[in-house]
Amino acid sequence: MYGENGGLLRTELATLLRQHRIQQRLGGPGTHTVPESTTAEERKALGEQIGRYRHAVLIWCLQAVRAANPRINLEGTTGRSRRPAEELRYRLTAAIEASAAGLPPLEELTTGQDFRTIESWRQAARAAALGEHDFDAGLGYGRLSNAECMTVLKDAAEITRGLVALDRRYARITGWERLKDQGRLGRAAEGCAVFAGDDDPDYTVDRLGWRPSPTTMDGPAMPGLLGVLQSQHNLLILLTKLPTARNLRLVLDSQRVLSHEASLGVRNFAPELADKWQARSGTYTALVRESRDLGGHLGTGGLAASEGANALGRLQRLPRAAVDVTKPLRHLDRLFARVDDRVGDIIEHGANERLYFLRLRLPRVVDQSEGLIKPVRERYVPIASAVQTDLLAIVHTQLRPPPTPRPAPPVDAAQSRSDLHEAVVHRPEGRGGPSISI
Amino acid sequence: MLLAHAITLAEARSYVAALADLARTFDASVEYERVLLQLDWIHDDEFPGLDTTGLTDDRVVLYAVADAAIEELADHGVDALQVELVLDMLDAARAKDVP
Repeated sequence: MYGENGGLLRTELATLLRQHRIQQRLGGPGTHTVPESTTAEERKALGEQIGRYRHAVLIWCLQAVRAANPRINLEGTTGRSRRPAEELRYRLTAAIEASAAGLPPLEELTTGQDFRTIESWRQAARAAALGEHDFDAGLGYGRLSNAECMTVLKDAAEITRGLVALDRRYARITGWERLKDQGRLGRAAEGCAVFAGDDDPDYTVDRLGWRPSPTTMDGPAMPGLLGVLQSQHNLLILLTKLPTARNLRLVLDSQRVLSHEASLGVRNFAPELADKWQARSGTYTALVRESRDLGGHLGTGGLAASEGANALGRLQRLPRAAVDVTKPLRHLDRLFARVDDRVGDIIEHGANERLYFLRLRLPRVVDQSEGLIKPVRERYVPIASAVQTDLLAIVHTQLRPPPTPRPAPPVDAAQSRSDLHEAVVHRPEGRGGPSISI
Repeated sequence: MLLAHAITLAEARSYVAALADLARTFDASVEYERVLLQLDWIHDDEFPGLDTTGLTDDRVVLYAVADAAIEELADHGVDALQVELVLDMLDAARAKDVP
């Protein structure tokens, strides 16, 4: 998820920006109390390793800027014709192309490091490597609102500013490779951060990006209402594959009875929820009625139908009083909404792609066939044809849950960003100097 | 499936569906729907469409004709044990059709 990877990246960079006297942190000389523990050659190798970690973070920054601002060809543009985001992208591209460090190999990303500074760099590079998946998983341009684009752009600009500040600080490491046009890159990042920070940020972007696909909860049935939730969750996962028409009918039947039973169970202490679930049961009753003539052999769905039956069986075994628990009920309600959404998708997809058909009501004899016995002609018509059913209308008007409001941003989204910003612009106590941390 | 079999099955399905629509309790309606699903499963999802328009709303009559139509399926080559199981399910559904 963008929020997790971006947050880790910012946290580690903020940690690095608070560290001074880098040579000593790499085991070098400089203090009488701590003896020198690394040779100059070893510190040079460590510097090269940091360069590789930094390269990974630079690439993440470039990808973030590309995701937020996709202007394709910057060839032939000048500093005057480029806008802040384009200028940052241009400078980042130049810095990456000029860098000879290369990306860190997998061992360097996965092996813990002895020095805390190097370990922070490793964590940052790891977050950057993982974060690359986010841009192809829902964080690309066209899927983001303008405010989200600006938030991503500002994140990339702030991290670039941090890298520039660290580049200045690490200059005394033997063999350290400086960023190309470090000053211009820093100014581009600063300008871009100001430009992107003009509008209010939209931290809900942190909820986007790659996340592992959910899996079924196998194993023995959980006790009580948790067992119902387990089956309903499994049903939702298994419904990602298209069920045959018959299995779809079994699922509709199980949901109808499940809602009815659950509604009866919570009637005494949650009447609103009971009414809502009773209405859901009514919707599924209508769907069951309209799907009596549904046909279609493509698909699977046997396991989904079983899980629907499991959920029902487990709920029916529960004593009525045992359901008086608020949190699992909320989860069950949420699962109901997601199953409704999924069932709606399945029916619409099946109708549009002609995977589900309606049987015509009266079969006819195939009178041109050879032989004495004339078989019955099976006739099927697409659901969306002139022979209409109320199935799609019910899906459109009753089954679809109301659109859920966008999830709130993570609680620490703003804090993580302000920590990095403070680390970039902080001025050590009692010392004069430029506004940016050097 | 021959025409006579298809017509018998269409009748059985239509009567059971009408019973499900007219059931006086939720449980009975669910049980009648399951009879319908079982009939469809026996025929491997190869069955004609149903039509409940114009049928009587007398449940006693509907039950009798549904019972007769299902029983007649055995004459069209449907496994007799399966037919008996469906008839038992139909009977169980009727037992729940009491307000």
